[in-house]
Amino acid sequence: MPASPETAAPAAFAYEGPAELRDAVTAALTRVVDPEVAMSIVDVGLVYGVTLTADSATVRVTMTSAACPVADLIVDDIHDELERVLPAGCELEVELCWEPPWTPAMMSARARRFMQW
Amino acid sequence: MRPVPHTLAPAHAVTRRRPSPSPLARLGTPLLALLVGGSLAAAVVGGLLRAGAVTTGLGDRAVVGHAALAHAALMLPGFLGTAIAIERAVAIRRRWAFATPLASGLAGVCLLAGAATTGAALFVLAALAFVVVNAVVVARQRAAHTMLLLVGALALLAGSSLFAAGGGLAAASALPWWFAFPVLTIAAERLEMTRLARRHPASLPTLAACVAALGIGAALGPFAPVAGGAAYGLALMALAAWLGVFDIARRTVRAPGLPRYMALCLLAGYAWLGVAGLAWFGMAFGCPGRDMALHALGLGFIVSMVMGHAPVILPAVAHVKLHFSGWFYLPLTLLHGSLAWRLFGGIGRPEWRSAGAALNAMAIAVFAATAAAAALAWRRRASAPGRDAAP
Repeated sequence: MPASPETAAPAAFAYEGPAELRDAVTAALTRVVDPEVAMSIVDVGLVYGVTLTADSATVRVTMTSAACPVADLIVDDIHDELERVLPAGCELEVELCWEPPWTPAMMSARARRFMQW
Repeated sequence: MRPVPHTLAPAHAVTRRRPSPSPLARLGTPLLALLVGGSLAAAVVGGLLRAGAVTTGLGDRAVVGHAALAHAALMLPGFLGTAIAIERAVAIRRRWAFATPLASGLAGVCLLAGAATTGAALFVLAALAFVVVNAVVVARQRAAHTMLLLVGALALLAGSSLFAAGGGLAAASALPWWFAFPVLTIAAERLEMTRLARRHPASLPTLAACVAALGIGAALGPFAPVAGGAAYGLALMALAAWLGVFDIARRTVRAPGLPRYMALCLLAGYAWLGVAGLAWFGMAFGCPGRDMALHALGLGFIVSMVMGHAPVILPAVAHVKLHFSGWFYLPLTLLHGSLAWRLFGGIGRPEWRSAGAALNAMAIAVFAATAAAAALAWRRRASAPGRDAAP
């Protein structure tokens, strides 16, 4: 399912930071696609939260499987996309979390429609 | 409104700055790539000799003779065992886990050098380590798909142990177990994907029945060939039906680009899995069709999966990004077309079978060339003026 900023679903993850960056951050994360399932990581529900301060950004994400070999690829893509929209000098860290475990209930309505729930 | 997790357990979180390969990975990646590629190339050459597609020029060198003798071992625990072990080692992010692909890759080298006993022993060590790696995965996430991955690893261990028990010289008794390893691994990975769709209540019990039948068929084979072969064939057919009904590929095939290509690789593979099951079932009752049973499974199902998975996996495990294009359909079409030519056209016509085998090998070579061109295309696009990021 193609993801684009125009069709990005509203952020369904916890967001702490400047309100004016919220849409840009959401759109950037929506552009990151989980290649195994062909959907945006936001739609799959892999993004647990984003915390932005003046000089740092922390993104908490999960994977659908502990045997998932594409985790680094997704983290790399998150860096690529967020570094385009974050203020210069803002240091980005991505936390890979396994608790709470991902469940299908974390998918967006759009993803669930695509998967014919 | 969908639930949003707010309670994170810091002990389970791993902070990652932009991933960059370690010095060990910089050395290890080319070595492992050489072992994977070498196993595949040797297995293909050995297969061509066995199919009579190559008869002169190569056959008088000992290493080529060893490649023909060890074709199945080089392809299954050699190429697939090494490639899948790399994938799993990358996933669990433990350096010791890379000993698994190193051991199975070196086992292939030993077989080619004529050191069959050492090679077979290394396959057993690799499979043992692979079982431990998959146990780590289960410990991290106790779920049906991770447990099925572990069962697949145990099948690899069973096959490699039988191969070693025979001195590394005959693969017949190991084959059902060796084939069960990639079949169960693929089933497990597709089972994980089915979590994204609404799961039918019957999906897990029916899959468990398929897996049990496959294991019973493989175990019975040496003692009761008819019952064992029939159970194994029925299990493959049932798995094909299960994947065809429950896999999300029937949904992702509607998405454009890479997802559609991957879904078509999967769906075509499921059709060949059904054909392989039918041929395996028929073989149990004396019908000819060994080539169909082995290569509908090995090429039609497993290599098709490899072709579908490679554009996603290569960037993850080898740090080589690919620019997907319609060219990927060329080797895929060649693979499935040449396999139909070989397996159906080759019935009673050995020359068609040989020509089909040569075209099968060409499909794999064209795929490798397509992947290499896609890697160059990605690098060209990424470094083009005005682009500051990946395409």
